Amino acid sequence: MSGTQAVFDVVSPGLQTLVQDHPGRRGLQSKGFFPAGPVDPVSFRIANALVGNAADAAALEIPMGRLTVRVLADTAIAVTGASGAEPTLNGTPVPLWQTVPVRAGDEVVCPTVKGPGFRLYLAVAGGVDVPLVLGSRATYTMGGIGGVEGRALAKGDVLRAHRVAAPAPLRVPDALRPVMTNTWEIEVMRGPHADPDFLTEADWRDLVGREWKVDLNSNRVGTRLNAHRFTWSRSSGGVAGGHPSNILDGSYPIGGVNTNGDVPVILGPDGPTAGGFTVVATVVQAGLWKVGQLRPGRDTIRFREVDLDEALALAERLDYTTDARHYEEL
Amino acid sequence: MSAVITRRRAVGDTPRIVYRAAGDRHVLVEYGELALDLELNFYVTAVAAALAARRVAGLVEAAPGFRSLLLHYEPTLIGRDALVDVLEDVHGAQPPVRSLTLPSRRITLPIAFDDSESRESVRRYATTIRQDAPNVQDGSNIDYIVEYNGLGGREDLYATITGTEWWNAYTGFFPGLPFMYPLDPRNALTVPKYNPTRTWTAEGAVGIGGPCVAIYPVASPGGYQLFGRTVPVYDVLGRHDVFRGDPLLLRPGDRVRFLRVSEDQLLAARRDVLENRYEYMIEDDPFPVADHQARMDAVRDEAAALRAERDAAAARTEVP
Repeated sequence: MSGTQAVFDVVSPGLQTLVQDHPGRRGLQSKGFFPAGPVDPVSFRIANALVGNAADAAALEIPMGRLTVRVLADTAIAVTGASGAEPTLNGTPVPLWQTVPVRAGDEVVCPTVKGPGFRLYLAVAGGVDVPLVLGSRATYTMGGIGGVEGRALAKGDVLRAHRVAAPAPLRVPDALRPVMTNTWEIEVMRGPHADPDFLTEADWRDLVGREWKVDLNSNRVGTRLNAHRFTWSRSSGGVAGGHPSNILDGSYPIGGVNTNGDVPVILGPDGPTAGGFTVVATVVQAGLWKVGQLRPGRDTIRFREVDLDEALALAERLDYTTDARHYEEL
Repeated sequence: MSAVITRRRAVGDTPRIVYRAAGDRHVLVEYGELALDLELNFYVTAVAAALAARRVAGLVEAAPGFRSLLLHYEPTLIGRDALVDVLEDVHGAQPPVRSLTLPSRRITLPIAFDDSESRESVRRYATTIRQDAPNVQDGSNIDYIVEYNGLGGREDLYATITGTEWWNAYTGFFPGLPFMYPLDPRNALTVPKYNPTRTWTAEGAVGIGGPCVAIYPVASPGGYQLFGRTVPVYDVLGRHDVFRGDPLLLRPGDRVRFLRVSEDQLLAARRDVLENRYEYMIEDDPFPVADHQARMDAVRDEAAALRAERDAAAARTEVP
């Protein structure tokens, strides 16, 4: 089998459904490109694994659900991610976290996500075929590139996928599924701009001790938390600006907890690559998926500090959960 | 657990260096003191080039800042300690900054001060995010920049912006955004950023945050105080020939000079860009660091006096 085939006709596009791939556009931060890609890379990778796709295949990210597609070819799909959002196939519920064979003429509906969790991922066997832009198919909303013409899906879009043999149906064991909640614990490492040079030691204890609210104004660019005045261990940013959170501009790590004045923002995959605010903590690789499932305006976060060794051990464990060899055959 | 991995004292031509952890995939390397010293940026530029030439396995990228490099690495391929060792090696092999001639171009861009789109960016912020901020009174950031720097008025600000070349220290924030600093230290302004930041800024808006002037390449969030608008500096669709091959107009090491135009003239120029009729003013002009140092020496006292005046004004001004 070779070539591509039309697989989905978008009947109802949802809020901001995007074609993404993982790990997105790497190595272009010095030109101002953050990687884009899924905000919850774990659910995304699992969806791909369930339909036998390569790790770099493109699939759909569906915030809040509300996507309806008409299936245009006999193939297989998998839906993963947020809870409280059982999709339907021709009106009959189908479970998340498993391979679902579909036929031309079927209708797949991802309903409104009730939560906990916020984003669904829908993978199709063969992977969504859109042009590579700067080495990736990921939609980068701020740069207007990748995916379908650099934008969210619209009604009437027809998506194509590479033609492949039907994958063996699989199911992710309960123990390997990401656990959704409304009260999250997210692993961070301290810094790069923490105590004692920027924050006080008490500020750091405050950061990891308090419960943070996820602001309604959160998206792929950044997750805004509630405003909070730290004490700071310096009175101003000097030549970089009057507020102690101001620094001479530098490049930001993805997942950085960026203090915009008094508002901490967790930098998302479409976020700014650089700027002049301190990054007081950084969400480790294994904690990033949780940021993608935070429900704006409702969920709360507590940060848990981990060291490098624990961060790397957690990342290894997540690699295990995204490996189809550990799934059950149906 | 400290965020600092290790520190190195300044030795000879090598500035002080601090290695900071930025999660489990990044190390932030900071050079020198928190000072607006462009020579630190010249050093960063040279180290970034030397690192790229080494092709270090497991190093995805080194992304520069004004006085820093953010190293993105793959921990399964290179450990953090080994990565720091590589950097130590590169630093040890650097020639003195004053011996360098950096590749550079002079790019002249039109600017309309106090244009309607940057005013709209401010208006949206004041309406939806923070009305009482001292920097958004009367729907513009311009008077705040003037007050914070103790300038004589808006015309004084405009003359300060157009009266120097702006060094593009690096690119980032969003695709193609130049972070620019004045090569004439007498034109160095500083102003606090928004608190909290805007969620929307018009494409092409020009603003200042801290000591840095930036052009917004796409409509995006932002924290800089806006004072005008220019022509596009980024176009991934390549609608103008200047963006064919590379969607970014400005490279690190380019110098921008702003040329004042009316808003009508700017809008005409922007239309011409879309229709591929506009002529971007770009000339090659390599940049010997030693010549720059000589010019700095000639105006050092005057610049210091101006800085003292501006600092005094800043101390009298409310911070957002």
